[in-house]
Amino acid sequence: MKKNTFYLVTGCIALALLLIFWYSVELHTPLLIEIAFIIGIGLVYLAQRRVTGIINDERDVKIGEQAMMRTMQVFWVVFCAFSIGAVMQILYVPTFPRPPPGSPPADLLGPRMIGYIQLGLLCLMIFLYVGFRIYYARKYGDFETDEE
Amino acid sequence: MKNKIKIFRAMHNLTQDHLAQAIGVNRQTILAIEKEKYIPSLDLAFRISRYFGVNIEEIFIFDEKTPVLVRS
Repeated sequence: MKKNTFYLVTGCIALALLLIFWYSVELHTPLLIEIAFIIGIGLVYLAQRRVTGIINDERDVKIGEQAMMRTMQVFWVVFCAFSIGAVMQILYVPTFPRPPPGSPPADLLGPRMIGYIQLGLLCLMIFLYVGFRIYYARKYGDFETDEE
Repeated sequence: MKNKIKIFRAMHNLTQDHLAQAIGVNRQTILAIEKEKYIPSLDLAFRISRYFGVNIEEIFIFDEKTPVLVRS
């Protein structure tokens, strides 16, 4: 298994965990997501052992560093922007007991939905990282063809 | 940063894989350096030059036009 395949597999496991999390919330059975999480992480470790690429040299480290740095630069802005909006939504207290006609409902995003979206954003971060990793791998000659 | 790794490899009849194993990096890293897609660290540059038994400047040619700070 190649490294980029491993990251995609990890992303898929994370999304599956998100769905199981949702389902366990609906069923009110936290044990389901707890067991699924342990199995999911076990699968990630198992997949990690199957990664071929053996040597992690300085170029690999640099690609990883650059990809993570860019991921964080993009991610924290999106995550914080959403979270700030979400906090404002939670802290919103209507000034008037009855909202004026035509105004949007106050509970547009409930605390539960905010949590789901934040968890989804965290999962999407993995895909963002893979994208940046592919970009930097290409930049530093990972897809160069050999003349030998 | 230009380099003559390919020439030195040919002189020593070495494949990229052999050189990579000898200095402890991936073959793709040697290829990337040869194609000037990746500038090796000082440590790796020294290891390559030591392996061929020459000074670092005989393999790596410093390009003064290259800016010091390169945006990633």
